[in-house]
Amino acid sequence: MKEIAKLGVILLIIGSVAAALLAMTYELTIDQILQQRLIKDQTARMEVFPEAETFEAAPEEVLNEIKSINPAIADVYQAMAAGEVKGYVIKTRPGGFGGSIDVVTGFNLEGEITGLRVGTHEETPGLGANITLPDFYTQFEGLDLNKKVGVNKVSPGDNEIQAIAGATISSQAVTDGVNYISDVLTVLEK
Amino acid sequence: MEKLLRVSSSPHIRSQATVSSIMRDVVIALVPATLAGIYYFGMNAAIITVISILTAVLAEAAVQKIRKKEVTISDYSAVVTGLLLAMNLPASAPWWIPVIGAIFAIVVVKQMFGGIGSNFMNPALAARAFLVVSWPIEMTGWIAPGPDAVSTATPLGMMKEGASEALPSLMDAMIGNIGGSMGETSALLLILGGLYLVYRGVISYRIPVFYVGTVFVLTFLFNGFEVYTSFYSLFVGGLMLGAIYMATDYSSSPMTARGQVVFAIGAGLLTALIRVYGGYPEGVQFSILLMNVATPIIERYTAPRVFGGAKK
Amino acid sequence: MDIKIFTKGLYKDNPIFVQLLGMCPTLAVTTSAINGLGMGLATTAVLASSNVVISMLRKVIPDKVRIPAFIVVIATFVTIIGMVLEGYFVDLYNALGLFIPLIVVNCIILARAETFAFKNGIFSSFLDGLGMGLGFTIALLILGSVRELLGAGSIFGISLLGAAYKPALIMILPPGAFLALGILLAINNVIKQKSAA
Repeated sequence: MKEIAKLGVILLIIGSVAAALLAMTYELTIDQILQQRLIKDQTARMEVFPEAETFEAAPEEVLNEIKSINPAIADVYQAMAAGEVKGYVIKTRPGGFGGSIDVVTGFNLEGEITGLRVGTHEETPGLGANITLPDFYTQFEGLDLNKKVGVNKVSPGDNEIQAIAGATISSQAVTDGVNYISDVLTVLEK
Repeated sequence: MEKLLRVSSSPHIRSQATVSSIMRDVVIALVPATLAGIYYFGMNAAIITVISILTAVLAEAAVQKIRKKEVTISDYSAVVTGLLLAMNLPASAPWWIPVIGAIFAIVVVKQMFGGIGSNFMNPALAARAFLVVSWPIEMTGWIAPGPDAVSTATPLGMMKEGASEALPSLMDAMIGNIGGSMGETSALLLILGGLYLVYRGVISYRIPVFYVGTVFVLTFLFNGFEVYTSFYSLFVGGLMLGAIYMATDYSSSPMTARGQVVFAIGAGLLTALIRVYGGYPEGVQFSILLMNVATPIIERYTAPRVFGGAKK
Repeated sequence: MDIKIFTKGLYKDNPIFVQLLGMCPTLAVTTSAINGLGMGLATTAVLASSNVVISMLRKVIPDKVRIPAFIVVIATFVTIIGMVLEGYFVDLYNALGLFIPLIVVNCIILARAETFAFKNGIFSSFLDGLGMGLGFTIALLILGSVRELLGAGSIFGISLLGAAYKPALIMILPPGAFLALGILLAINNVIKQKSAA
């Protein structure tokens, strides 16, 4: 009994020292880390909406209303320039071949896509993972969100993209993520 | 040694069958379906079949030479592996697909694990899985039967995408006039070959019958009790080829009768699940491979009680 | 004597090819040469430092609770490194960030703490950690290069096999990790047998 108590106390001391060290490091680095993450997110949004100067998170009630329509929409940002809303950057999470895919789409007030990037995903390397390559995602630029974006395996027509050969499911998933937005455009227009 | 009195452990009764007689029977059983594949898919199908068999035999001889073992290519087992692999390929495959597949089947799956009788997976199927995962585009370049090599989807692929109105008729599916791997389409000829093998005593009816039966029952349940669709789905895809010729591979399926039934039902369950819920339209190869790996466990639990031994 | 403590991890007692330790990160992250190198170097840094800390604390930590104590020390250490990197060395963090939390569960670190650092002096423990870490790095680099070459036709992103080569995707998928590791182990065993004979 006495020995167990002794061992417990030693472990407690080691644990406390570790916790104290961690807390200290956390305090010292957290501001810097948050700032870095902010810069990272900001640059990511800048890529899909280059004309914006700053980005502001959409008001909570708008976000909640959008999420109640489609829970696969993760976050909504307003792209601001000269104090006015110029467009939106929306992150959606459609289901792909290997799991959910983070799709970040930027579009202006007319519903024209200004840019699209694919973030975290679990698609097959060499096949589905090619959705992160410019050859694929630049296809979305200029497409119209007021109607559904289509996927074509051979020759894409109006408002369609060409699927990656052998990775139709992944290509369709990204497109689904874009089409989620057209369902909520009316909410944003209010 | 020959003159010494021979004292050996059981079995004391020996059958006339040898490795080469069994393998020769399998080749004979596969010939009609292979010819049908060549008839439907044309010259390239014949070329792929020849390349696949030649590579398998050469690879076997090469490995056995390197390992300084007796070269046993005359037992037909490499021929069977090469032929089964070819039957599992799309007829549009480029020449290097059967070469790499046959080398992988013989060198990695068969010889590295000790050669004939020691492989824990069906070599041709494992090679097909390797090829499908590595080169999905080349391995799904299905072409429609006929001289023009028009690209098409397999019936299972169409069902998966919900395009059921484009499905070929049941008759076409049975005689093999559909898109798919070159040896898997002629269900009737595959069944004919299977009957020959059962008649010759090379395989038992258990694995094919229980396997196909399980797939039928489950498809029936999953598809909302539609008899026609469930019946149809038995004749498309690799089910007949897999159930009759690959799941019955001696060294990678259970030896006991009960074990074979468990093996077949398990494979049928996995096939139906992959077909309905999986990412791939066809699940025969992965289900057989998974059950291959489960075989030692199945055998342990289905081993018959030793005569005179106590009940557990 | 000291030099042997360092060199034994490189080949003779290589953590991957001989001891088969730390298989989880080995198989999971070696999809490319750069990933293998990154994971290897990050592990080396943690291994050398954790060996030093464990060696310093070896008189304090009672034998009976050494394993939980080791894990707490290692996990604390790794988390601190992760936070500092994310805050102040962003480029390095972006390259290695993925691997840092994985290092905690790498059993090489626990194994070296248990078998070496807990019984030896601070400087020897440091050398041991460095040697084992570099051995790990070499193994991961080889494995990552082989898989990237066959699975993507390139090494460090530089295309080597030309456009005519159709990459075998399986090599950068999980089954390829097992295939490549198994074949490399076999080759290593053949070399060892030949040199012993």
